[in-house]
Amino acid sequence: MITARNLTVSLSGKTIVHGVSLEARAGELTAIVGPNGSGKTTMMKAIAGELPSKGEIAINGHALAALEPWQLAVKRAVLPQAATIAFPFTVREIVRLGLTVGPNRHAERIDAITAEALAAVDLAGFAGRFYQELSGGEQQRVQLARVLSQIWEPVLDGEPCFLMLDEPVSALDIRHQLTIMTLARRYCAGGGGVIAVMHDLNLTAMFADHMVMMKSGRIEHAGPPAKVMTDDAMEAVFGCRMRINGVPATGVPFVLPHTASA
Amino acid sequence: MSLNDAVRGDGARGSFLMRSVRARAAGDRTAIARLTLAALVVVSAVALALSIATGASDASALNVIGALFSGAEDTALSMRDRIIVFDIRMPRALLGFLIGAALAMSGAVMQGLFRNPLADPALVGISSGSALGAVLMIVLGASLPAGVMIALGAFALPLAAFAGGLLTTLLLYRIATRGGQTSVATMLLAGIAISALAAAITGILIYMADDKQLRDITFWSLGSLSGMTWAKLLAAGPIILLALLVVPFLSRGLNAITLGEAAAFHMGVKVQRLKYIAVVSVAGAVGASVAVSGGIGFVGIVVPHLLRIVIGPDHRYLLPASALFGGVLMLGADMLARTIVAPAELPIGIITALAGAPFFLWVLLRDRTRNGW
Repeated sequence: MITARNLTVSLSGKTIVHGVSLEARAGELTAIVGPNGSGKTTMMKAIAGELPSKGEIAINGHALAALEPWQLAVKRAVLPQAATIAFPFTVREIVRLGLTVGPNRHAERIDAITAEALAAVDLAGFAGRFYQELSGGEQQRVQLARVLSQIWEPVLDGEPCFLMLDEPVSALDIRHQLTIMTLARRYCAGGGGVIAVMHDLNLTAMFADHMVMMKSGRIEHAGPPAKVMTDDAMEAVFGCRMRINGVPATGVPFVLPHTASA
Repeated sequence: MSLNDAVRGDGARGSFLMRSVRARAAGDRTAIARLTLAALVVVSAVALALSIATGASDASALNVIGALFSGAEDTALSMRDRIIVFDIRMPRALLGFLIGAALAMSGAVMQGLFRNPLADPALVGISSGSALGAVLMIVLGASLPAGVMIALGAFALPLAAFAGGLLTTLLLYRIATRGGQTSVATMLLAGIAISALAAAITGILIYMADDKQLRDITFWSLGSLSGMTWAKLLAAGPIILLALLVVPFLSRGLNAITLGEAAAFHMGVKVQRLKYIAVVSVAGAVGASVAVSGGIGFVGIVVPHLLRIVIGPDHRYLLPASALFGGVLMLGADMLARTIVAPAELPIGIITALAGAPFFLWVLLRDRTRNGW
């Protein structure tokens, strides 16, 4: 479990995240949503240990501040927003970095895990391509394969590992959005945890167990999507009136008046 | 793997070499990297041997070694050959190789650290700092107390250049570091400013210099491997060697940092320590090299760039391969420099720039479409 208590993050003198507390449990997909500039990415970076912050952060009970980078690297992996690479790495070489940079727990299975991770993000057969030649969405999936290979086992030495994904599906087509969200769910089913910054509210509703709604650096609502996503909460957080609907139980016919023609 | 993927995977544009690498190992260039490294070890040995065996004089290294082992009487002729081979060619070849290795590997490290294939040690002010140190010593050395100059002897110039390079780099590192975090972008920009400042001060000194000093400055700045002695090798060699041995330990971290500093940290790299060791090693190696040889350009950019095309950017192979290839290139350029207008010799910096610059342009233009720059 990842816990943050009274987390405050300031960037060049400006406070971005104001004393938030949250829990991300193993076996659950925790989605962080909110408008642009609400502090989602900043909060995630603080939890990843990348930004200095005030408050307490712990991974599986270990205080974050007491962990060295290589100790953190076996407990959590982080998918950043778009990354450019200046050198001509092949896809295989990028994914392999996830396995060879930190403490290498799977030295004998590097090739196998690389292939499996690429297949998991639907990029089997891309190992020989140059990263720079790929489309934005393909690059995003290569990075995800790299992140996935870093903590390939959802549970290591009895401790759950955590995937931290910053807008993992922002550049993807609808089929691959579903592929990646399903992948995240499978990671949770395997005993690991996932924290994802999301913009697509429908995907969040479909896949998240726990939803954290942020506005202006504070957590406004947190809980299961079915409870948190109300018309009023959405308006308060996103600043526009929307109606939340539920898909009817399978087999029950329903009428969608939008489709009516007089 | 679908048929579509297979076609897209192997049918992409690229050079013949790239296509063959792809077809053979689907993105795994480990084999070709190891092969290249092995080949470079052999070529390095050959280049060192050739460099010791050839020169403006007809002294034969084989004869000298033969004489050593047969225990023959020292004739005047073999004595002369022995001096040429042992005291002139050998320190020159060894130091030349080390300098080439230092410049090329430092280029690779800087490019990795700055995540830019065009970065080189000159960017962080090492070269201009060294030049300032050297020019200071040439112009103002005469006004130092005679005792100091006598104590320093032939080391005065190299020491000044080394100190200049190291001090500039450390100053730059201080400027770019705030709250324990070094900003690589600040370092780059401040490097440009500090280089300009060093160049201006150098300019003032050149303006003050007399004719003989001007000639010294010009020759130093052109770069040369002439006048290499065992003493210089003992002075600069250990610093360069230490850097060459330390830097390969940074290769995994440099690989990670190509994805960005944050990503490197996420993967378990102590980024700040990596930056510090990289900058100090490069400052030491390049400072020591520039100190004894003057300004030798283009090795630091051309060598890693060419190797990346062949073996890929994995620093575990790129760093040692750059060192070996840089050493070989330097010896090749030096052999040209001292035979092309024998018995006189060209400053080697002219040859590396004359051959390196057009070649580099050619590579850039050829790859422009693929790399997008």
